[in-house]
Amino acid sequence: MKVIGQQIFRFVLFVLLQVFIFNQIEIGIGITLLLCPLYIMLLPFDTNIFVLMGLAFLMGINVDVMSDTYGLHASSLLLFAYFRPIIFNVFSPRDGYDVLKSPTIFDMGHTWFLYTFGSLLLIYLTWFFIIEIFSFNKMLYLLQKIFLSLIFTYLISLLLQVFLLRKTQKL
Amino acid sequence: MQNLIAFLRRFRVFLFFATLQIICLLTYVQYLSFPKSQFFTSASSVGGEFYSIKYAVAQHFELENSNLKLQKENIYLRKRLIKNLYQVDQNLFKIKDTTFEQQYNYLPASVINSTTGKMNNYFTINIGDMQGVKRGMGVFSPDGVVGIIHNTSKHYSVVKSVLTQNINIDVLIQPIGLYGFLKWDGKDPTRGTISGISNDLRIKKWSKVYTRGGSGIFPKGILVGRVEKLAPVEGKPLWNVVIKFSQDFRSIDRVYVIKNLLIEEQKALELDVPEDEDKPLI
Repeated sequence: MKVIGQQIFRFVLFVLLQVFIFNQIEIGIGITLLLCPLYIMLLPFDTNIFVLMGLAFLMGINVDVMSDTYGLHASSLLLFAYFRPIIFNVFSPRDGYDVLKSPTIFDMGHTWFLYTFGSLLLIYLTWFFIIEIFSFNKMLYLLQKIFLSLIFTYLISLLLQVFLLRKTQKL
Repeated sequence: MQNLIAFLRRFRVFLFFATLQIICLLTYVQYLSFPKSQFFTSASSVGGEFYSIKYAVAQHFELENSNLKLQKENIYLRKRLIKNLYQVDQNLFKIKDTTFEQQYNYLPASVINSTTGKMNNYFTINIGDMQGVKRGMGVFSPDGVVGIIHNTSKHYSVVKSVLTQNINIDVLIQPIGLYGFLKWDGKDPTRGTISGISNDLRIKKWSKVYTRGGSGIFPKGILVGRVEKLAPVEGKPLWNVVIKFSQDFRSIDRVYVIKNLLIEEQKALELDVPEDEDKPLI
């Protein structure tokens, strides 16, 4: 019960953060901060794949309604959720995942987090910008957008984890 | 039958994913072309309410600036009032004026949400159906053209801004009187392009670009920007005219919605034009 409450709180927090803070920051030169995948990433290891995709869809629709993107976020978050178990399998430790741990940088270490979240984020951002730009004759701009957004989103997501999770780490 | 069930069981994860994905993509593609689903926009009541609250907070930091701007515009308009003009001929007859008829009305509004970093940028404004806003009306600010109303709800409307890919506003380069369609390439929120201008014409740098008023959405002569440079199009005798917008879309606040009282008449007339001739876009 406590876990569900915590997850609902996090869900609302991430939607509000994305819509009212990260969507309003517009640095230019193609940097877009997309932090909602971090919520899907931080869900527990043993989450059912259907629950995962349902939550991703719900969160995407919420962000879309608030920022006039009509299904863009929902589609790419869904892709992120679909690929999460696949990528987790690829980078799994030798004797499987410990269910008591959670997929955060504190529990699993920086290398693991960089590989999994980095590759998932790359898939997510590629899909997101391909749909957003909707044409292939701006290849260079597309690559620039993906690359820069990847770096900045990754850095911000590290910071967010430090703020959100440090307390639970100490307990 | 059993095979089918086995198949569904085996690929249930992928099928679930594919169904939801198709729903998302359909909404996305559909909305880019026509605004059917009222639910998925910030013009819907819940989203609009949230942005009103945000605007109410953020507005205070901009009050001084926007007041100055409005004051300047007031002075400019006040100067044109009859009572501020000196009457040269003192013996005028009073006549009923039938030379002029009101064509455009303006509704004031505030932008409560806006983006500039995406490929298609939409603004949300705080007036809607109740004030008589309809799809396809023009929107401008004291500094220049902003966009066209894309979708409305009871209290809010979404504006398709100049910073979208298929905006196609017809514009006029003064003083030479050339016209073309304004486009945006999705990168720089301060610059747009006018395509399809023949390269034997000489266009001076910094000449002003106004709306042409052909499609009845904007009145003639609203400032859009200034010509910044001419870029040749590869393999064609054409210029791409790059213009710098006079409105900075990143700091947009007060706007006006244009209500054309004669639009029905113009549209009815233009219906008779044979199909193969070029129609004004948007």
